[in-house]
Amino acid sequence: MFGLLLLLCLPPALGAVDFSDYENGYQVRLSIKTALGDEAYEWNESEMFLFRATIAFAMRQFTKTEAYGIDNIVVRNQTQRVSFWFIVTSPENPAQTVEKETVEKAIRRSRNRINNAFLLTDKTLEFLGIPPTLAAPISPATPPWLIVFGVVIGLVCAGIVALLTSSVVKRRRGNKAKQLPEEEDPAKGTDKGITCEDRNGVYNQGFSDDDRLTQL
Amino acid sequence: MEKDARPSWDNPMQFVLACVSYAVGLGNVWRFPYLCQMHGGGGFMIPYLLMLVLEGIPLFSMELAIGQKMRMGSIGAWSAINPYLGGVGIASVITSLYLCLYYNVINAWSFWYLFHSFQSVLPWAECPVNANRTGYLEECEVATATQYFFYRETLNVSSSIDENGGMHMGQALCLLLAWMIVYLFTVRGVKSTGKVVYFTATFPYVVLFVYLIRGVTLHGALNGVKYMFTPKLEQLANPQTWINAATQIFFSLGLGFGSLIAFASYNHHNNNFERQAIIVSLINSGTSIFASLVTFSIYGFKATFNYESCLQRMRLLLLNTFDMAEDTITLDNIDYWFSELNRTHPLQFANLIPKLETCDLEAELDTAVEGTGLAFIVYSEAIKNMPASQLWSVLYFSMLLLLGMGSMLGNVTAIITPLRDFKVLARNFSNETLNGLVCLFCLLLGLGFTTRSGNYWFTMFNEYGATFSLLFIVLIEVVTVSYLYGLKRFEKDIEDMLGHKPNWYWKIMWAFVSPLLLISLFIFYIVDYIRGGTPTYQAWDQELGKSVVMEYPWYGQAFIALLLVSSVCCVPAAALYAFCTKKQKVAPPREHSISAVTGV
Repeated sequence: MFGLLLLLCLPPALGAVDFSDYENGYQVRLSIKTALGDEAYEWNESEMFLFRATIAFAMRQFTKTEAYGIDNIVVRNQTQRVSFWFIVTSPENPAQTVEKETVEKAIRRSRNRINNAFLLTDKTLEFLGIPPTLAAPISPATPPWLIVFGVVIGLVCAGIVALLTSSVVKRRRGNKAKQLPEEEDPAKGTDKGITCEDRNGVYNQGFSDDDRLTQL
Repeated sequence: MEKDARPSWDNPMQFVLACVSYAVGLGNVWRFPYLCQMHGGGGFMIPYLLMLVLEGIPLFSMELAIGQKMRMGSIGAWSAINPYLGGVGIASVITSLYLCLYYNVINAWSFWYLFHSFQSVLPWAECPVNANRTGYLEECEVATATQYFFYRETLNVSSSIDENGGMHMGQALCLLLAWMIVYLFTVRGVKSTGKVVYFTATFPYVVLFVYLIRGVTLHGALNGVKYMFTPKLEQLANPQTWINAATQIFFSLGLGFGSLIAFASYNHHNNNFERQAIIVSLINSGTSIFASLVTFSIYGFKATFNYESCLQRMRLLLLNTFDMAEDTITLDNIDYWFSELNRTHPLQFANLIPKLETCDLEAELDTAVEGTGLAFIVYSEAIKNMPASQLWSVLYFSMLLLLGMGSMLGNVTAIITPLRDFKVLARNFSNETLNGLVCLFCLLLGLGFTTRSGNYWFTMFNEYGATFSLLFIVLIEVVTVSYLYGLKRFEKDIEDMLGHKPNWYWKIMWAFVSPLLLISLFIFYIVDYIRGGTPTYQAWDQELGKSVVMEYPWYGQAFIALLLVSSVCCVPAAALYAFCTKKQKVAPPREHSISAVTGV
């Protein structure tokens, strides 16, 4: 993708190509070894034959005629990179080339089929000048995050409700028990005389000893 | 009068775990590694550990002692120590309130990322396609996919603090969930908190350990670890290093918020807090170092990945320009080919120069990030390149959540405990209702951070809400305990609780070293504020795809001033109030209450 953009910026004077023939042509670049690694196939005449056949197929699909044949796809300037230029000639008049826009539309429509024929992707089989058609984003009806969110918040709500009801129940039970005569801890309430309120009536808890009330 | 027994921890282990869970928070993961990188890698340990010994452990222990002795939250405890200094407690509560408001927003973000990890392709791994499906969205092209996801899809951030927008509904929902979970964990006070901390304190370590194994086995991780641990000892001469070490220890331990006092107030009278203080402080610092090991292996992986992608791009550029077969140039011989092609095709090569990038591993490693940028952008970028990235993403954001939740427990307890100490509130509201009201209040105010400009307000609170006030509060605390209350009386209290007096180390630190350190930090902060000029913030520029520095508008600066002043001025205001009300009464009660504190 980046290579594609970079090369678009390159001044046209690079490479020893006569561009006057190819204003309706496209440059193609294949990166077979990058895509397939050890399982890369050799680029030879048969592969080129397949390429021309797929382009002819794309033109046929687009124009909905059976006019296009292998001879209508003319290839020039093959390099070691595995890049070359091709033009599509009109079936009625082989001297005339088909418009660039038509070729582009045809290729875009059948891009997936062309890629698959060579086990390549949009990035590794580049048509310079034809932007790739990116896959439409799959937007499910409910975003998946909302589902997980719903589950978690449901659990938290259940937890809170459970805790609150258990404490309400406990308190109600406690209230019922209070109606019976209370058994008091004799130490409670008398404070063993430590409640030294100062003259202003402020109960300073800093010195109160309520160890006996802790549970450890 | 009949008093309900003060609730307490089921066992001392719960208390220790609660302190660990509170102290070990997001700062250990996203601030310490940054400081380590900035200040000379392994060499930063020296000032860090020194500051731990000089101020961290003594101040931590002091707060625990106060809480355990007074058995009240911060307001009650400080009023008991000195009736004129109840304002210190109030300042702590206000600072905790500010912290609660914005800290839970981070948890909301963690939830958002966590829920979005349950997809086949992580949403921050790829840019979304544009309308006619020919390319990616422009904003995403200019920035990176992870930055786009954070700034646009998570925050939907506006371009400056002036532009408010609507609330982000997803964020608001996540914030609601975060507060509901906080409520669930604290609804019954220490009874519920005590059980939760078993999990929130220990699970992050499990995840960190798993990440450590994953991290060091990643390709290129060792580059990062080597870079971090290579000490650059010349940084020790930089005073900024020492200042940052001191502030990091200080803020990392969570001093001054009143949470430690609150937690310790539920302790048994004879709990050995001294030993626990040392243990928790060491665990906290150890976790920081451990987390930075993980962070740096991730950094190393990310830097190596970026470096190799850069080399790949250059290789493709050369191949495409000179139409060479694919296997002639590999990453190993690319340098050779650079010079070779320059020699053989000088004209073509010259045309290529504007597109050439210099691929530099050191430069990639040098990009140090801290804060939310590290946690949500850098880490997610590294995670998306790992195999089985959904699993790692879920693990990582759960860890962030637990670290954040653990700290939130402490923050909320710091607010609720002093409130419950007021008899009026305790009598009329049950535990559950009071906690619910506090959580609801914080939730409603926190919704402001989920608006489009919310991230800028968040940054403001993060930088100004708690930093300066805490230094002030803890300085007053340590000076009060050492000089106003008296070190002798404090010693006697500790002997009463522990059975032995604190030894010379504690006394020297409390009386001299920590106050001196705090005063110098305080002065440094003031000088820095004055010299810094107009406060600025980083705003996200949509067109450029990066953050730009902007100044706060007048109301922003006024709000900063309000944040600082509102907590700090509680201390003199409460002292004045106490002075005025005491003057109205007949006899001076001051000696009476102080002598009564030490007597039993």
